[in-house]
Amino acid sequence: MQANAPPPIQCRDLSRSFGHAGARVDALEPVELHFAAGETTAIVGPSGCGKSTLLRLIAGLDTPSTGSVRIGGETPLQMRQRAALSVAFQDAALLPWRTVRGNIALARKLARLPPDPASVDRLIALVGLAGFEDRRPADLSGGMRQRAAIARCLISDPRVLLLDEPFGAVDELTRARLNHELPALWQGRGVTTLLVTHSVSEAVMLSDRVIVLSPRPARVVADIAIDLARPRATGAEADALIANVTEALAQSAPPRPQPA
Amino acid sequence: MTIALHQLRRRGADRFYPVLSALVALLMWELLARVFAQTYLIAGPVEISRYLWDHAGLVARAAGITTFAAAIGFVLGNAVAIALAVAAVLLPSLARLISALALVVFCLPLVATGPILRVIWGPGLGPQITLAALAVYYTTFLPLMVGLRAAPPSWFDLVRSYGRGRFSALVEVRAMASLPYLFAGLQIAAPAAFLGAMFGEFTGAERGMGVLTIRAMRSLDVAGTWALASTAAAISMLAYAGLGRLSRALNNGPPPLILAPVLEGERRARWRALLHPILVTLILLAIWWLSMEAANLSPFFAKRPADVWAFLITAPEAAAHRATLGAALLETLVLALPGYLLGLALGLGLAIVLVLAPKLARGVMPVAIALRAIPIVITAPLIVVALGRGPAGTITIVALMIFFPSLVACYQGLARTPRQVLDLFDSYAASPLRRMASAQFPAMLPAFFAAARMAVPAAILAATTAEWLATGRGIGGLMALTASTSGYKMLWSAVVVLAAVAVAGYVVVAQIERAVLRIYGAEQLTR
Ligand SMILES: Nc1ncnc2c1ncn2[C@@H]1O[C@H](COP(=O)(O)OP(=O)(O)OP(=O)(O)O)[C@@H](O)[C@H]1O
Ligand SMILES: [Mg+2]
Repeated sequence: MQANAPPPIQCRDLSRSFGHAGARVDALEPVELHFAAGETTAIVGPSGCGKSTLLRLIAGLDTPSTGSVRIGGETPLQMRQRAALSVAFQDAALLPWRTVRGNIALARKLARLPPDPASVDRLIALVGLAGFEDRRPADLSGGMRQRAAIARCLISDPRVLLLDEPFGAVDELTRARLNHELPALWQGRGVTTLLVTHSVSEAVMLSDRVIVLSPRPARVVADIAIDLARPRATGAEADALIANVTEALAQSAPPRPQPA
Repeated sequence: MTIALHQLRRRGADRFYPVLSALVALLMWELLARVFAQTYLIAGPVEISRYLWDHAGLVARAAGITTFAAAIGFVLGNAVAIALAVAAVLLPSLARLISALALVVFCLPLVATGPILRVIWGPGLGPQITLAALAVYYTTFLPLMVGLRAAPPSWFDLVRSYGRGRFSALVEVRAMASLPYLFAGLQIAAPAAFLGAMFGEFTGAERGMGVLTIRAMRSLDVAGTWALASTAAAISMLAYAGLGRLSRALNNGPPPLILAPVLEGERRARWRALLHPILVTLILLAIWWLSMEAANLSPFFAKRPADVWAFLITAPEAAAHRATLGAALLETLVLALPGYLLGLALGLGLAIVLVLAPKLARGVMPVAIALRAIPIVITAPLIVVALGRGPAGTITIVALMIFFPSLVACYQGLARTPRQVLDLFDSYAASPLRRMASAQFPAMLPAFFAAARMAVPAAILAATTAEWLATGRGIGGLMALTASTSGYKMLWSAVVVLAAVAVAGYVVVAQIERAVLRIYGAEQLTR
């Protein structure tokens, strides 16, 4: 496989349970998942169903209870070690003592790449944080922090992007603008992207495929291809797909009796 | 404009209250000294100032020497603390062992360690510096251990997501995240270093504040004793305030609340839970024996583990030795325990009162925080001079030693109740008492227990110091006696037994803490 081509991601029999006998929490039932090279896949599901868990397993930040993950034939650890993978964490995970610029530059340092101040500033402008380069995270709003986190993800030029609700704290208008502008940043570069989101319309607008997960323990209840031309705009076709996904989500969550 | 004015007035008031309460305290002190001049031996601020004026050169020289020894001990002790904490974080499998060893060394009774260090080091600054280092390393080690682990998991995930390991996490995340904790520890360490240096001087130093204090006390020089203790307190408070300033300049944000971790450990198989203390004990004995052998110290004063074992267990008169030691220990504990409970209860009680009466708190808390910086033990001579040699004096010293740290910890713990929880109670118009009982009190428990654990060795230190310096009773008195008659076997045995008692007390409090916190919310269990 070429070093610069986006890799496919293969999850075999992947599952994760927390705790021990007696107080066991199954977060993820064994799943088989394949994400094609260069595709953007959105993952939607009710809160607490195991989306972050799935992402962490794929990044190799957590050890699966069963099964394995292969990214283009490599293990997640190998991918991470050559800095070919970036994660945008649900809570942004910006270091409070570093400025926006410093936080983004840190990713290059951790990835053992030479410093590149020009690209840092370009990305900061792209995510709409120009003028805030020297502010610390405490001075930013939740949405601004998430945008800084996305810029940090992109600065190491990864082949795999794992985004955990990257727009969760962003208002609708900004979200629409980011949905419009940001994907161009990575879709042009050949990146395999997984995007966890709570917004069905965002999932449909951004991705090539939407996976709907059931409440915990997560199973795949629907797998919907999004064959819309890019750049995308709202319209009848998109609305139909949105309705599809919404219905799958609703059906995935029948009022089940809670285990005691 | 009005808002700015209001704020200005507010800020003025915030400065004004502490100054006012300090003035009131000074005035009351002077009054007490005058009223009770015949009954108790108290020197007031005026008399103290006169003494200091007359003996300025002498006191300044002594203070200089003691501060010098304290500063070197401070640097060495903290360097060891930082190295230990970093090692524990980089080698997690050794963390428990390192923490346990650190705790045991912390539980060594400083008073008795002094004379032993004196014969080992001979004349000079050796014992002062060693004791200052011993007095500070744990107060830095503990918060640093908390601080190095205080970062949210996603920060570590970030480092790992670029394939980097523990070392990068230490440099990029832990180091900075632990800074406020480090400074909180250093701040408490500064007065402790001074205390340690003074202790070293109690036992055969030529010069320094400790020497002058002993001399003044022995000659019943009331003004001198009070003046020296006030000077020591002032230096400690200055160091405390200076480090606080430095810390605020370097870190923005409020200082963290330090919840000292219970000896950490997940649920383990029973045999491992048993094995661990045995392993720690064996390693300690090995370190003890090896260091004595390596330094080639004379077996006359540098006793080995086998000597203590023989003295207490296998020697023909072992039963008599045990009886002497046991009786003395009992005599001490009978005073230390009430003082411990009294100090904790008073600290907790006043903290609750202050939270219910915030106006009062604004005046009292800054003074209480300042007083926490005073190593209370150095006031032991005063209290004995004032209250006499009966049980009241010793109990008061122990209670005072524990009161201030407990008050500050409980108050900060109560203030830590999450805002949303308080808002919830307010939205139901709950009474302040109800809010205290249902929300603030449970939120404070971890801070309270952290203080209660740290107070165990402190209580033993206070009790034995009072006995050593003043009353001559209990195990402190026994140690003073054996130190002056070169009864090193008994002295070493007393050190071992006292350290074991302190560790046992710490573990008992930790067990109570676990049980209580399990009821009051497992999420509050500090690891
Ligand atoms: N370290 C852990 N220990 C125990 N249980 C965990 C752990 N991490 C996650 N869980 C449990 O696994 C389940 C799934 O968690 P996860 O964070 O993956 O959900 P999520 O789908 O990302 O939710 P959200 O949309 O709210 O972010 C939850 O029930 C959670 O309690
Ligand atoms: Mg999540």
